[in-house]
Amino acid sequence: MTSPYLHINGIRKTFGDVVATDHVELEIGEGEFMTFLGPSGSGKSTTLYILAGFQDPTAGDIRLRGKSILQTPSHKRNIGMVFQRYTLFPHLSVGENVAFPLRVRRAPQAEIAAKVKRALSLVRLDGFEERMPANMSGGQQQRVALARALVYDPPVLLMDEPLSALDKKLREEIQYEIRRIHQQTGVTILYVTHDQEEALRLSDRIAVFNRGRIEQVGTGPELYASPATHFVADFIGDSAFLTGELAEVKDGRATLRFNDGTHLADVPMHGAGARGGKAELMLRPERIDLSDAAGPQGASLPVTVEDVTFLGNNSAVTARTGWGDPLYIRLNFGHPMMGSVGRGDKLHVRWQPQDAHVFPKA
Amino acid sequence: MLSFLTPARRGSGLGMAMPALLLLLAFFVIPVAALLSRSVTEPVPGLQNYETLLGSATYLRIFFNTFLVSGLVTLITALIAFPVAWALAIMPPRMAGVIFAVILLSMWTNLLARTYAWMVLLQQTGLVNRMLMATGIIDQPIQLTNNLVGVTIGMVYIMLPFMILPLYGVIKKIDPAILQAAALCGATKSQALRRVLLPLATPGIASGALMVFVMSLGYFVTPSLLGGTANMMLAELIVQQVQSLLNWGMGGAAAFILLVVTLALYALQLRLFEGKAR
Repeated sequence: MTSPYLHINGIRKTFGDVVATDHVELEIGEGEFMTFLGPSGSGKSTTLYILAGFQDPTAGDIRLRGKSILQTPSHKRNIGMVFQRYTLFPHLSVGENVAFPLRVRRAPQAEIAAKVKRALSLVRLDGFEERMPANMSGGQQQRVALARALVYDPPVLLMDEPLSALDKKLREEIQYEIRRIHQQTGVTILYVTHDQEEALRLSDRIAVFNRGRIEQVGTGPELYASPATHFVADFIGDSAFLTGELAEVKDGRATLRFNDGTHLADVPMHGAGARGGKAELMLRPERIDLSDAAGPQGASLPVTVEDVTFLGNNSAVTARTGWGDPLYIRLNFGHPMMGSVGRGDKLHVRWQPQDAHVFPKA
Repeated sequence: MLSFLTPARRGSGLGMAMPALLLLLAFFVIPVAALLSRSVTEPVPGLQNYETLLGSATYLRIFFNTFLVSGLVTLITALIAFPVAWALAIMPPRMAGVIFAVILLSMWTNLLARTYAWMVLLQQTGLVNRMLMATGIIDQPIQLTNNLVGVTIGMVYIMLPFMILPLYGVIKKIDPAILQAAALCGATKSQALRRVLLPLATPGIASGALMVFVMSLGYFVTPSLLGGTANMMLAELIVQQVQSLLNWGMGGAAAFILLVVTLALYALQLRLFEGKAR
């Protein structure tokens, strides 16, 4: 069996009693754009710092092309990195900043000049060689940082929330640039962010971090369509959770009983849950429909409409279930119900069986 | 009501600085000018005081001593202060606070007391000689007082805070992530030091060095206590000329040369570093 290009193998890092990351296990393919997504303190940055060599893991290994890199100091890892803060060398011009990695490697002058020119061209800053970092915008500085991190053709490029200091419009612009650069260079990228939209826009695959562990790894559509845990379901996309009791669990499917006695049978169940335990049903507002008639058993619930807000291309409907939990439904413009639905209407929400998920509640 | 705080009035802050300026004029500018004017009027009008000072081997020797010691003190102070300032900048703030307190406390301790302490430590049977002999580095006690070695040691110790503080100021402002970036770019520790840390700390080194060098040029207490009469420095010469020989002309000339050198160095620093910061 061939070893994966980059293997993060059971990384655990503790600071005193605090566990920063635990059993982080991930295989990354060559040329892949992998994003670590999670709230602050979820261990995503710690994992990145261990890759960069700024911190040593308490346990576990990191292998690049089958070889452990943990014994290699940062400056010999050959890894590229773009930081959250601006880290250009303020006393050096843009050209010298980009040339820095080549100079410390004692590359010949002609090679340096050619590579710097190419790297600056890659980030669309041709002709900026003489400019000082202090005279550049934040977006430009991060692009120079990107050029500096790519100029020596690193096997892996780490990006630690590189856009968090920029405003929204600029962020989107540079996200597009990063995508283009990834496609153009084919470099393997590990990208850390807490912004789900950014993660979905950029990544081939996303590893969702929570409390030091990876909750799920998958493509954006996979995470959205079949979240493995409550946390992932909540973090990616909008969702509503209805709490009930597990009346039956069988072959990965559950029957839920809600407070008012409503039963919902045959819903896909994630994680371990025993009969009698509490569980939550997750429904996404844009994946459920509103109808006069009840749907098939297990994919429909009666509700009372509480509020309707017109939002242009869709309407947001707030409804309440028989036992009083709120539920949100998004009706796209042109939906037959749009216009006719009003407060107090007794209707049914319906969904495709694969769009509902049950998670055990701790 | 508070119109004197508005920007329009701030330009004319000269009025508020007036008392301080008058004080400086009365107690600094006028006396110094008087002393300097005596250097070209006593004993007779003319530049003979300067001719004597710059023309005789004895006096040139004193200038040489002064610049040599000041230069060495500046260099050694910088070499010691840099790692100290660096350590202070990266250690936990509470620990740095304790060390700062120690540094300041030593600064606030009476200068004479500290210099006499060094005399005790550096004498033939002093702690330093005994320790060097105990570790086998030397067999015979070496002469550490009454010469420029003693002066240099004593002055390095006194000048250290003046180098550590400005250096700490610039190093503290350097984002540690910049050094992490340098490391990932492939820079070894010494390359990161030479190519990133030192250039970024240069303004602090320069202002500390100027301070230490200029203070050393005119320093009196340490050279006179640890140096001995055979190795006189400029401040000692001025004191000797004015106090013992009542030769105000020569004293004034020596003071004037000191002032010119100081101002020239200051101008150089302004030119090299202040202009760049804009």
